[in-house]
Amino acid sequence: MTTQAAAIRGTVTTRVPAADLEKVTADLAKAPGTRLADMFASDGGITVLRLVWARESGYLVTETEIEGGQYPALSDIAPAAFVEECEIYEQFGIRPATGKPLNRLMLPPHAGPDFPRLGHAPAQPPQEVHAPHTVGGQAFEFPFGPVRQVGVESLYYGLVTSGEEVVDVYLFTWHKHRGVEWRLRGTTPRQAMFFAERAEGLSAVAVGWAFAAAAEAALGVAPPPAADRTRAVALELERLYNHAAAMAALCQATGLTVGQSAAEIALERLLRVNAAAFGHRYLFGVIEPGGTARAPDVAVLRRELPAAYGELRRAADALLRTNSFVDRLEACGILTAEHARRLGLVGPVARATGLTVDARRDGPYAAHPVTVVTADGGDVFARFQVMLGEAAESVRLIGEFLDAGTAAERTALPAKGNGEPGSGSGLGWAESSRGEVLAWVALDENGRITRARLRPGSVRNWRGFDDACRSQNVFTDIPIIEASFWLTAAGLAR
Amino acid sequence: MNPSLDEAEAARRLRDTIAAQFGRSLHIRTLDTGSCAVCEQEIRLLSAPHYDLHRLGFFFTPAPRHADLLLVTGPMVRAFEVAARKTYEAMPGPKVVVATGACALGGVYPKDPFVHGDVGQVLPVDVWIPGCPPSPLALLHGLGVAVGRLAEKTPGLTFIADGGQG
Amino acid sequence: MPLWFIRGLRRGVVTTRYPARPDDSAARLPTPPAFRPGQLTREVADRLVAVCPGPALSRRDDTLVFDVGACTGCGRCAEAAPDAVASSGEFELATTSRSVLIKEIPIRGDEP
Repeated sequence: MTTQAAAIRGTVTTRVPAADLEKVTADLAKAPGTRLADMFASDGGITVLRLVWARESGYLVTETEIEGGQYPALSDIAPAAFVEECEIYEQFGIRPATGKPLNRLMLPPHAGPDFPRLGHAPAQPPQEVHAPHTVGGQAFEFPFGPVRQVGVESLYYGLVTSGEEVVDVYLFTWHKHRGVEWRLRGTTPRQAMFFAERAEGLSAVAVGWAFAAAAEAALGVAPPPAADRTRAVALELERLYNHAAAMAALCQATGLTVGQSAAEIALERLLRVNAAAFGHRYLFGVIEPGGTARAPDVAVLRRELPAAYGELRRAADALLRTNSFVDRLEACGILTAEHARRLGLVGPVARATGLTVDARRDGPYAAHPVTVVTADGGDVFARFQVMLGEAAESVRLIGEFLDAGTAAERTALPAKGNGEPGSGSGLGWAESSRGEVLAWVALDENGRITRARLRPGSVRNWRGFDDACRSQNVFTDIPIIEASFWLTAAGLAR
Repeated sequence: MNPSLDEAEAARRLRDTIAAQFGRSLHIRTLDTGSCAVCEQEIRLLSAPHYDLHRLGFFFTPAPRHADLLLVTGPMVRAFEVAARKTYEAMPGPKVVVATGACALGGVYPKDPFVHGDVGQVLPVDVWIPGCPPSPLALLHGLGVAVGRLAEKTPGLTFIADGGQG
Repeated sequence: MPLWFIRGLRRGVVTTRYPARPDDSAARLPTPPAFRPGQLTREVADRLVAVCPGPALSRRDDTLVFDVGACTGCGRCAEAAPDAVASSGEFELATTSRSVLIKEIPIRGDEP
């Protein structure tokens, strides 16, 4: 099932007094076509709470000054905000007024009052998550990780199981928290770009684009259309290799080694296309604030991408005809559209439940509309189908972008160098392979960052993981479900 | 006896022992101390058809108890240090630690309250593999160096162009 | 399963012969820079140090100190001074000694 996504027009920022915040949030949460995309705070003397809402017409950012350390319990209205409430409490010490417990999520257990934060330490430390916390009767809880199977990121799961059935799964990434947002303060957008790309390296183009766009919005500059098209080519190449990697991971999780090898052949060929076209297998260093640092080698891309995609397509077709593989995916890890909407999920995870949420609606995509691929059922198989459909769409889009103009020129911000002029704040976005990435940047009068918010797609979607794993799934399904989400611990931990 | 000659001889014998024991069959445990996830993707590709580390006698093992070599990525986030030490201590000797990628070598994150900044602050590193990320070919070269099968090139490289090597 | 078996046979071997033989794909990998001392004035060197996002470049008197281990191959130094910086083409950089990765590049001084 596919739909055309409408073009959107821009970002609106509005101040909301604290007394009105609850009502405004309730109205927005109920409004049709409106989704809570992010919530974060910043502290420049007074703590300001910002909510980012995605609407048909564009993004809306509400800004509220918080005094007295408390604000209304927004996650009671918008459950999509709970994880953010916990993070904001850890980093800024402000909390919802209800007094309900907030969990320690981002910072490590030893993070005392003097540990570096984006704001102030909370008056009471947040609660440690314990399990079993939802179940009665016989359940066995065991911690798994953070050092897990070979070749995967460190990730700590608390797994609660009654025999084979998954009762609960919760996860932590504080052991990978590098403090990226903290480290970006005081840097110029150009310096920060290096770290923004590496916040979630498998989404380097998407996070880099969202960050660059946020800096550009703050400075009131726009990259030339040719640079935007180059960015889009890189973004679609990134989507392609990630979907190939997810396919390989699905085969590994289901024990289908030949499928895994076939997918890995396709993945390796796609990474070599990236290296040939942009000089880096993972497309680092393509985007810079104001434009792009590199132009693609168009001839090489046209020559080599079709064959690499052909490998992926043939492997996928063979997998779809392998019943033992498809059987493991169907009815596994089901998320409903209601789950996805309530939790504010994004990307293929959301689209596989039927939601048409896709951030590729403006910029270069306005002239080259994306056919948004959705599926029904919300299971692992639906997510796999969405990824395959998106891969085909990415190849088509790359062809369109390459045909649309000459190779992109390199550009730079009008005043290049440390300390671009102009202060301001702005929101940027891009659709990574994992879903919508948001970035928000505030610059001071010297052009240096006072606050940078990076919100990769993984931050949104990991909170749907426990719902997907629960109930009818056995815990050997967990790697399959994890592969179908294809998120990262680095993107959540930052 | 000249103590430094003794040490040099002991080091040579240890290296020869390692090469003899690991040169044809090596089991590798990976360790992510806070990477951006890209180094892990390159490491996973070592067992993919294009690179196939098995043909060289290298194998991955999830159990530190069975591992000979610890392949470490990431800037050693301080909150991960306990897990890193436990993994290293669970490996029986002789064992080799390979720090891979610019993060692990101190090139990306400076030492600060969040990260140590390089793996060598916590673990005794034997081999360093530069790159961001190191490609599977670079990783194969690094593993070959670690078991004494491949020669190092860097000592002879000057990184001076116009007449110099490299 | 016969489907996969036949596909595999028809696909053939893609495995590299590296390290026994060189691999062509290495030619497209990003590599650390190599520097041209003839183009390296103190001013150029200071510009390179400023633009490097990490600690890979620093200056000590008339020496540009280049830590290959810290280099990410980002290319910003080459972009800042294309006459002074070339690509080394080297990807086999692993070493058993960290200090061997610290290279010293002479700076020519400010006379032309």
